[in-house]
Amino acid sequence: MKKTKTIIELKNVTKKFGTFTAIEDVSFSVEKGEIIGFVGVNGAGKTTTINAMLGFSVPTRGTISLFGERVVPSNAHLSHRHIGYAAGDMELPLHLTGQQYIDFVMSQFKGDHTDRLEALLKQFSPQLEKKIKTLSRGNKQKIALVAAFMTSPAIVVLDEPTSGLDPIMQDAFLELIRSEQKNGVTIFMSSHYLQEVAEVCTRVLLMKNGRIVEDLSAERLQRASGKLVRVVSKKAVIPPPHAKQATTTDNEHGVTTEFSYDGPIPQLQVWLAGLKSVTDLSVGDRTLEAEFRSLYDEGVEVK
Amino acid sequence: MIIRNVFMKTLYDKRWFVFGWTLGLMALTALMVTFYPAMHQDGSLEQLTKSMPPAFQGLVGNLDNLSRFSTYLASQLFDIRMQIIAGVMAIILALSISISEEENGQLRSLTALPISRTAIVVQKWLAMVVILSVTVLGTMVGILLFQTMINESIDLGELARLIFMTWILLIALGSLTFAAAMASGIRSVALSVGILVLAVSFIVTTFSVGVDWLKDFESFSIFYFFPAVDIVKEGIQLRDVSVLIGISVVSLVVTLIFFRRRDIR
Repeated sequence: MKKTKTIIELKNVTKKFGTFTAIEDVSFSVEKGEIIGFVGVNGAGKTTTINAMLGFSVPTRGTISLFGERVVPSNAHLSHRHIGYAAGDMELPLHLTGQQYIDFVMSQFKGDHTDRLEALLKQFSPQLEKKIKTLSRGNKQKIALVAAFMTSPAIVVLDEPTSGLDPIMQDAFLELIRSEQKNGVTIFMSSHYLQEVAEVCTRVLLMKNGRIVEDLSAERLQRASGKLVRVVSKKAVIPPPHAKQATTTDNEHGVTTEFSYDGPIPQLQVWLAGLKSVTDLSVGDRTLEAEFRSLYDEGVEVK
Repeated sequence: MIIRNVFMKTLYDKRWFVFGWTLGLMALTALMVTFYPAMHQDGSLEQLTKSMPPAFQGLVGNLDNLSRFSTYLASQLFDIRMQIIAGVMAIILALSISISEEENGQLRSLTALPISRTAIVVQKWLAMVVILSVTVLGTMVGILLFQTMINESIDLGELARLIFMTWILLIALGSLTFAAAMASGIRSVALSVGILVLAVSFIVTTFSVGVDWLKDFESFSIFYFFPAVDIVKEGIQLRDVSVLIGISVVSLVVTLIFFRRRDIR
């Protein structure tokens, strides 16, 4: 493992399956200690990117480097010595008990990680004595998470890690990520849960149609700045300056105009005061989902 | 029990498979051994056999072989029956440790660990060899146990030769299927290779006795390299051993070349 600041680097990575292009020209780099949220709708190409990054698949074009070394499937195991991996749909060996799986994974890594393992077992309390095939999805996921973190890896790659966890375990997971961040661990996490991404990630990569379309600080998502304005009136209204994603629908109550607004509030007040024939009005905070949708709809590709 | 590597894990995963198939092959052995007193004859059927059309002789086999216990076992158990039944076992085993694990996502979990793809292939293949060894040794033990029930005794050297050749035949069949599975990652490809080799071999070997033009293609059958009765009578031919081991080695090399560079599902 080379000592470099940039520990994950993808350059112009494209992956095709026959004529279908799953990801195209994906480029980004991750520095030590960053907590990356990898966000996108189903089929956006997140898992394909992670699979290529970890050497599970061969990119059609482009290069991938981990710890400064180029990764191909035949040498990926070398970088895996410093990587923990867990996925929401991860299939663990069904015939083993949770304890046998933990022991098996532990046997693949050097060093004594007993203390770390005990702390994680206390935090997640997975069922270790039963065969994995008899466990619920949530319990399997707890075991996968413990296995991913127990060897104190330099990078942890997580693909939808909390999709099967209950809210208490999701909190425990977020707590773990925060403590790992303090230890300088780099985490690359794909997730559908924007709230958890906004809470713990330092940077967010937004993927759409196989391309990275936004690379932004998590603060921007967290702020979820601006308002969501909904006006029902007898006639259509023209949204004010700074309005985004305006939609107009006709129904029996009148014309409903909805838009996001992130301009100065006094200007919005003036605009609202000038409205006529208004039958209903609501002004609320934009949700994180709305912010995500707005970013997703804009879909500007990062150069 | 702590499982430290892919080899141990594969053996552990397949422990019930080993148990079941070993018992099954022992049961087959028991049946064939206990049939011997009824099948045993002193050559009086020779005339009858020779009066049959050549194609029918091929299907029945040479009844002269029924005069000795070892040639009886060679012709009635190891020739075709054991080859087909144990061959199916080798194919199922090869598929279950390769493509089945890939389809259910466990292979991806394995490759996420610091285990090289070479190590995964070699350790799984070695586990397959060990499992096939245990089942074949079970057959050997079965013969030795059940022959006492009919007061017969097979020459140990002859039995060892049959067992050894069965073993390398099964490894060759398993390796071919394993190679197709690990190199392609596609179940239908792997299954086709295994079944095709077995089916073509069965057809070519059984019908080439009576169908003249098939004789030219005898060597296309993997069973051609395991002439059970000849092995008992004349010993093992180096050519046969070389071909069967060669198939296994080439299959393993092909597996390594392709598996080290392909996508894992």
